[in-house]
Amino acid sequence: MSELYRPGEPVALQFKGSAGEYFRIWIVNLCLSVLTLGVYSAWAKVRRKRYFYGCTLLQGAAFDYLGSPMAILKGRIFVVAAFVAYALLKEVHFLIGIVLFFAVAAVLPWVIQRALQFNARNSTHRNVRFGFRGTKMDVFAVLLIGALLVPFTLGLGYPLYLAMKRRIFVDNSSYGNQSFAFSATVGDYYLAAMKLSLAFFGFVLGSLITFGVGLLPLYLLLRAYAETSFARLAWRNTHLGAIGFDCGWTTGGLFGLYFLNTLGIIVSFGLLIPWAAIRTARYKLERITLHSAGGLEGFLASAQESVGAVGDEAGELLGFDFGL
Amino acid sequence: MSAIQARYFDGKSSAARETSLELDAQGVLRVRGEGIDCSWPLAEVRVSDRIGASRRYLDFPDGSKCETADNDGVDRMFAGQVPAASNLLPRLLHRWESGLRYALAAAAITVAAAVAAIFWGIPALAKQVAFALPASTESLLGRDALAALDHFIFKPSRLPPERQEALQKLHAAMLADLTAGRVGGGGYRLELRAGGRAGANAFALPAGIIVMTDELVALSKDDRELEAVLAHEIGHLRQRHILRHVLQDSVTVLLIAVTLGDLTSLTTLAAAAPTLLLQAKFSRDFEREADDFALGHLARRGISPEVFAAILQRMEDNRPDGKDAPDFLSSHPGTRERIERATAKR
Repeated sequence: MSELYRPGEPVALQFKGSAGEYFRIWIVNLCLSVLTLGVYSAWAKVRRKRYFYGCTLLQGAAFDYLGSPMAILKGRIFVVAAFVAYALLKEVHFLIGIVLFFAVAAVLPWVIQRALQFNARNSTHRNVRFGFRGTKMDVFAVLLIGALLVPFTLGLGYPLYLAMKRRIFVDNSSYGNQSFAFSATVGDYYLAAMKLSLAFFGFVLGSLITFGVGLLPLYLLLRAYAETSFARLAWRNTHLGAIGFDCGWTTGGLFGLYFLNTLGIIVSFGLLIPWAAIRTARYKLERITLHSAGGLEGFLASAQESVGAVGDEAGELLGFDFGL
Repeated sequence: MSAIQARYFDGKSSAARETSLELDAQGVLRVRGEGIDCSWPLAEVRVSDRIGASRRYLDFPDGSKCETADNDGVDRMFAGQVPAASNLLPRLLHRWESGLRYALAAAAITVAAAVAAIFWGIPALAKQVAFALPASTESLLGRDALAALDHFIFKPSRLPPERQEALQKLHAAMLADLTAGRVGGGGYRLELRAGGRAGANAFALPAGIIVMTDELVALSKDDRELEAVLAHEIGHLRQRHILRHVLQDSVTVLLIAVTLGDLTSLTTLAAAAPTLLLQAKFSRDFEREADDFALGHLARRGISPEVFAAILQRMEDNRPDGKDAPDFLSSHPGTRERIERATAKR
């Protein structure tokens, strides 16, 4: 809470979710989703997000998710209908398939941009909305690098793609009238990628030495290392006005987390999925810290709602949601 | 009624103000705190759903709102309100989520519904769809299957040409019999191959192709035995088993992906492992259907089902590893069970 806060000290996010409580929410969501043949899954998603947002606190104030289930359902129906139409029409003639492929490729940046916008506009903290003002051309540029440059450079373009993707996302995000800014360079990403390829060598070597026995644990370790190094790079170079961020995830910590999660889910036939979700959220969120030389509370309280960020407008957006 | 402690946010800035909320006898909610004193009729205040112990929000008509951790206090405050239909569902949901016993009931219902869908719903649906689709759908699936098997496993048949011709005649006669008996299902092709690693065996491929190996022909003591095996494979083709298998598999995976959607790929993989067992169950059902078809054919032709049992037994004895996998893991029902079913038809 704010009375415990001393100016200038880093402040961590707090996560108050509990595995037992989330298990009950999860199982009811699952039950209704199965009984309604998936239609309820839009409502289930909102309930799940509201629980996680409402359990995440910064300086004693929670986050809130305002996405409307109806908008998400419409978005899902749109995506499923487009997919079915594509699958059916491409059987009629291969040329129709090719034309449709380009049509989908042309629409994809718009869909992703809308999804990012929907997610940001519907996230609030202290009754002030987040925002995303990236255009579909921004998204298109990132996708183009991902789709063209990466395969043609045999993956050498991948760090550039990661850097671009993060920059477009962070630089265009805002909290109220305050913009986020991203300061990592492409060089930083190449350095991280080089270290990762060394780790990959270790992974291959270790798998061979143990005659494949170590493959799965070593893969988890490699994944934990990759996730940790890119997350640290991203958070440490993200700024919101005078506020800086830090990320205290460690390779060992994430490895232990994923290892136990996987084990628990297998042994419990999936019943421990909610437990794994809560543990993951707690580990990741509580190790994100904010710091500011000039004091955090004053800044956090001074953000103004930006003009034009009206709830109705967000409600009109189709609720595209991908794991973005 | 006791007051609720809440933080007030005006919606214009992120500044927080500590307030206390109190409901008076006229149903008016009064918000008082640092530099704030306003009141709203309770009916105009929108309250967020209660989800576990997560924070609760009261939305006021002017866009300001209050955030509080006092979930019980909020519920007490709004208890007197006549619940609108839209508020009834969230209340029911919260009650359902509150008790472990209710949650376990939800788990049981979920498992029952999922089992019903996977074992009856999806197979029945796949059957309807498979029979509604034209036969060309399957040939799309299996265009290259035979070429691939020829490349990796089979060699051209070394049976003498007149033996091959006799077997083709037997196959053609069976198809004619099926068409004449209005059982349907013509247009299937018999291919003879040296089996290589596959040994004494017969396969039904999509696109209406039946492959029989030289080793199986050598193993048989009587062409009626080969007729029984051919009838079994024709049964697979006629019942559209391959298409149904593909449809069932993909719909099952899709269902699991949608309902468990909020997972990372690794954990989805772990959760999807039991579906491998289900697939084995599907194909055992298909084997039984094909066996029944073969037995029906033998009965029409006046051939004893013992003939089918005999060739099954000899294929089993001839199998290189010689042992039966446990029944729940294998894609074919145990040979003993199949033989028992065959002889029971007498």
